[in-house]
Amino acid sequence: MALLSISEPGQSPRRKQLIKHALGIDLGTTNSLVASASSKGSFVIADANGAALLPSVVAYSKDGNAVVGQKALDAPEHISSVKRLMGRGASDIKHKLSYTLIDSESSGMPLIETQAGLKSPVEVSAEILKVLAARGKKHLGADIDGVVITVPAYFDEAQRQATKDAARIAGLNVLRLLSEPTAAAVAYGLDKKLEGNVIIFDLGGGTFDVSLMRLEKGVFEVLATGGDTALGGDDFDRAIMQWIQEQAQIKLQKEQVVELSAIARKAKHQLNEDQSVEIKFSGWTGVLDREHYYQLIDPLIQQTLKACRRVLRDAALAIDDITDVVMVGGSTRSPRVQEKVASFFQQALLNEIDPDQVVALGAAIQADILVGNKYDKDLLLLDVNPLSLGIETMGSLVEKIIPRNTTIPVSRAQDFTTFKDGQTVMSLHVLQGERELVEDCRSLAKFELRGIPPMVAGAAVVRVSFQVDADGLLSVEAEEQSSGLKSSIVVKPSFGLEEKEIESMILASHQEAEHDRDLRRLKENEVEALRIIEAIESALSQDSDLLTEAELKTLQQGLGKLQETLKSGDADLIQQHSEALNELSVTFAARRMDSQIKTAFKGKNLEEVDR
Amino acid sequence: MTIANKNYFEIFSLQECFDLNMDKLAAEYKNLQSQIHPDKFSDADDVSRLEALQLSSIVNDAFDTLKSPLKRAAYILTLNGINPEEHNQKHLGETLLMQQMDWRDQLDYATEEEDLDAIEALKQEVIEERESCITEFQDCVNAYNFVDAKPVYNKLQFVEKMLIEINRSEEKILDY
Repeated sequence: MALLSISEPGQSPRRKQLIKHALGIDLGTTNSLVASASSKGSFVIADANGAALLPSVVAYSKDGNAVVGQKALDAPEHISSVKRLMGRGASDIKHKLSYTLIDSESSGMPLIETQAGLKSPVEVSAEILKVLAARGKKHLGADIDGVVITVPAYFDEAQRQATKDAARIAGLNVLRLLSEPTAAAVAYGLDKKLEGNVIIFDLGGGTFDVSLMRLEKGVFEVLATGGDTALGGDDFDRAIMQWIQEQAQIKLQKEQVVELSAIARKAKHQLNEDQSVEIKFSGWTGVLDREHYYQLIDPLIQQTLKACRRVLRDAALAIDDITDVVMVGGSTRSPRVQEKVASFFQQALLNEIDPDQVVALGAAIQADILVGNKYDKDLLLLDVNPLSLGIETMGSLVEKIIPRNTTIPVSRAQDFTTFKDGQTVMSLHVLQGERELVEDCRSLAKFELRGIPPMVAGAAVVRVSFQVDADGLLSVEAEEQSSGLKSSIVVKPSFGLEEKEIESMILASHQEAEHDRDLRRLKENEVEALRIIEAIESALSQDSDLLTEAELKTLQQGLGKLQETLKSGDADLIQQHSEALNELSVTFAARRMDSQIKTAFKGKNLEEVDR
Repeated sequence: MTIANKNYFEIFSLQECFDLNMDKLAAEYKNLQSQIHPDKFSDADDVSRLEALQLSSIVNDAFDTLKSPLKRAAYILTLNGINPEEHNQKHLGETLLMQQMDWRDQLDYATEEEDLDAIEALKQEVIEERESCITEFQDCVNAYNFVDAKPVYNKLQFVEKMLIEINRSEEKILDY
């Protein structure tokens, strides 16, 4: 590899003359924003009516035109919360939607039924992006050279890829996908000169992210990240809805859902200000006071604190080490959330930058730098991959190749070998998640390496390399070492896991670690037993004449016993019998070796053998 | 010499030793990344961007390896022609195997009883053992005695594994 031309610190190898135009886009579940940054500072761009927030809602008319935002909300049929569908299979989506999903055989992602025909979530997101980009273009009075789009830190591979695809459809040049908490840290770090070990607590409408970052002298380093892709302010609404239903003792009709959720949301906002709120619904009147409301939402807040503890542990830091806590996302306006988070971290919270806008502002700053404007600004973002990446091995186990919270970009390689004699094809299955079994992780891609030269089992060495780029996107390459045979793939995710599994993956990984460990041991022992059986059977089919009848019988008995034990599911027993059979085959193996050497040397003189 | 051809110590202009100056390592790491990170080449041509991606990945890996005592120890052994993963239970020695069983019993019992104090005490004991392993490993490396450093590494490996299990038990009890 040639040496990169490394410039002096502070001087980048870019063209200096031209001012370029870039935008930061926060593509949210409920609302989206667009911001711009220049040497004068960063600001959110509002629409003609002065509204900064664009509701993330799209409606299609029969002629195929799309309207986005408030206008779409007023349309009878509209698509909301499309972010929840990004990179998901139809079976992942468990919550009720106001629109119909159709399974798609080609892409894996479900399609949405609209008046203008079937639309994919990626297309719908693209409509939102187009409106935001147009707003930016109009304000700046220039074409947009590039954008930075934010994604939840906890977004997986498939969700990131879908977001990037949406930008491509909208005709935007994506400079970078940026984690939302990281974007918020950039805004605070650059505008408020924040330094130290900083917690970014980001509770939005539908998702929760927490990142622990080290900020110093323009370097923003993510130490650990965690969260829950299905926990947000919407869940507070749902808790109130549930309470109203119980109090009013009514069974909710389908058409009442929208009304009740609006009432619940209003009550939630009012309780941020007042001690109690009067609620009227379907002929019932009641009062919800703060004390009771807090009982409803405390378990939800507790879940966010649990994720905070995990992040502290992952980064091996204590609460005392945390210098600042930054609050991001509309749901952090709740006084109860603030009270709980402040008491957990034992310090006052930072929320001087509007929690709805801070992510877009940070994205705009990063966009301005990446597009090449801020030459003298030394800014370096070191992000991590949120979930472990691995490959399937024998026995449906996942071998982790890049563990979670590894700084990206990163490339790692691991060697694998063939299981059978003469095996010429190896299938590779790429997975993401924390658990040990394939079925508990998210399947990202499958591909095959064909044409491996036939060799005895275990002789071929296939090096599998993973490369995660700065956007957190993965490509995988497999190469057979002796032949140089290569196969590679940029991961285009396959879907199939249930949403619940993704959300609880990290948590479950710890609860089930023990169970997994036992299962892993069993699987490993089973694989080892199969390997021994395979090897001995193959050897017997060629060289059984090297054994006396009695020896052959003992060996076959050992084989039979191990095959029988394999069905038991008892890891210890399988290991015991595998070892016993291995022991029995030692003499046989030695004799085969002798015989092979003799055959090889037959008819050759010493000189030839030497060569 | 290019980054790709250097060993991890050379990448950060550090002398090859076990007892690293961690502050210097971190400072060098950030200094390098601020020059080669792909973000610094976002409007450069494809070849430069690919090179930035590869170099930045190498530097991340180098930093990840050197900042962890266990990975650093394994790396030093590899540099000196010793395969750290070549496992041999006999290397661990009988005393350690006995200790291993004893520790595991203590942990199982404390976990069952949800006795956090007992777990904490055990953790301190294991951490002390880790410190002594690190010192021992360092002495071997300073004396260029890599053959004797190998079993110390395996011991350290086992101690670190024990610490992970202790942490897991703790997390289980605290319901993290």
